[in-house]
Amino acid sequence: MKVAPFFGCMIPIKYPQMEAAFRRTMPNLGVELVDIDGFTCCPDPIYFKTKGVLDWLTIAARNLCVAEEAGLDLVTLCSGCTATLKEAKFLLAEDEDLKERVNERLMRVGKEYQGTVKVEHAVVVIRDELGIERVTESVVKPLDGIKVAIHYGCHLLKPSQIMHVDDADYPSILENLIAAIGATPVGHDRKLLCCGKGCLDGDMPVEMVFDIFTSIRDSGADCMGLICPTCFSSFDLGQIVVGRKKNTKFDIPVIYYFQLLGLAQGLAPEEVGLNLHKVKADRILAELAGGEAQASA
Amino acid sequence: MPQEKEKHVTIDFAFRRELDQIIGGDHHNYCYQCGACVAQCPAAQYSESFNPRSILLDALLGRADVLLGPDSPIWLCTNCYSCYERCPQDVRPIEVIIALKNLASNRDAAPSDVATMTENILKTGVSGLITPAVQRIRESLGLKPLGDYPVDEMLKILPDEGKQP
Ligand code: SF4
Ligand code: SF4
Repeated sequence: MKVAPFFGCMIPIKYPQMEAAFRRTMPNLGVELVDIDGFTCCPDPIYFKTKGVLDWLTIAARNLCVAEEAGLDLVTLCSGCTATLKEAKFLLAEDEDLKERVNERLMRVGKEYQGTVKVEHAVVVIRDELGIERVTESVVKPLDGIKVAIHYGCHLLKPSQIMHVDDADYPSILENLIAAIGATPVGHDRKLLCCGKGCLDGDMPVEMVFDIFTSIRDSGADCMGLICPTCFSSFDLGQIVVGRKKNTKFDIPVIYYFQLLGLAQGLAPEEVGLNLHKVKADRILAELAGGEAQASA
Repeated sequence: MPQEKEKHVTIDFAFRRELDQIIGGDHHNYCYQCGACVAQCPAAQYSESFNPRSILLDALLGRADVLLGPDSPIWLCTNCYSCYERCPQDVRPIEVIIALKNLASNRDAAPSDVATMTENILKTGVSGLITPAVQRIRESLGLKPLGDYPVDEMLKILPDEGKQP
């Protein structure tokens, strides 16, 4: 199948390792990625939307028009982009007057929003379009024995009226994807807590990150697995900053799902950019290498 | 014994009409103050001064001074969408909070990060800075360098920067 990736800004600029992991793993699932030129920031659903909802919606609609012109559905890699583009679709479908207002603006650049392309986060495309078996079939080095504490993040699931991904209180999509690469998903108390990044004031995010990592530490997991670059920024560097403030050290590597998938597909850690993370995944990599040495002995 | 106080409630309808004009702001009218939005609100769990039901009550009363003032609680919201998930009245409380933030931004009462980030996007088309270091890291990962974004086209579809038509 062919899809157009919508990388947004945070992944290509701040965390290009996520882009690399995605580009290297998706073809192994039988997906052809067709790059389209002409996108801008989605735009971001925190700051830009805070400044002006109508401008935010208009730019999102323009990005959707670019995909419509190419005739390709969009696959997103960032929960923020997913939230913006899916909510824009929802609002424009719900309110005909609003759609007209936005289209009047788009007309100035010769565009018209139709609502013909689908937008889904990559993990949803895998589950619904390809089937999770496809992931299992692509695995050459299963991540046996690696315990992954999942962090869902808010915008993949909520509001379910718009996202239609999973039960927002009892989701299973990421557990199933983690199990498909041979790793063990580990539940923990704060699995569904917000990362706090969208809070524009105060010390609250520090407390939230602290509670999430304390809960993961208690769960005995080897690492955290997630699918959103914004959550990643709260947690990779974030756990170090919070640890300093709280006089503790968590040392729990935070790994994007497509990096884990890449390792399971036999890619080297540098090929998925694990070396770029602040909290190193050395222990996990050693465990995987050890397992392999044992298997071949 | 608490003294019986005289109860006056003043509602600023002009402010409510202003809120109605922002996309999502009009849904504040549906709130019947049940409090379902509070149960899973992380900002309410982590801060005593935050409560989405109270924010909606202040919106219903049209209390611009509380909602847009320097100590407004709206900036504590983490944008997690739990309240949207829970509300039985389709108020979409988070969207009302964002509409309030729009009104605050129009009055220059938003945290400075909001203007900075928005300006970056309007200037370059993206939210982050594309430095030579970024391009080098991309190259080391075997990724293409990042090029230009269609900023002119993006600006043309925004009437007057920042102002709602
Ligand atoms: S916003 Fe919705 S959930 Fe919250 S108090 Fe009002 S009606 Fe109830
Ligand atoms: S979006 Fe804001 S108000 Fe709503 S539940 Fe989350 S933190 Fe609370």
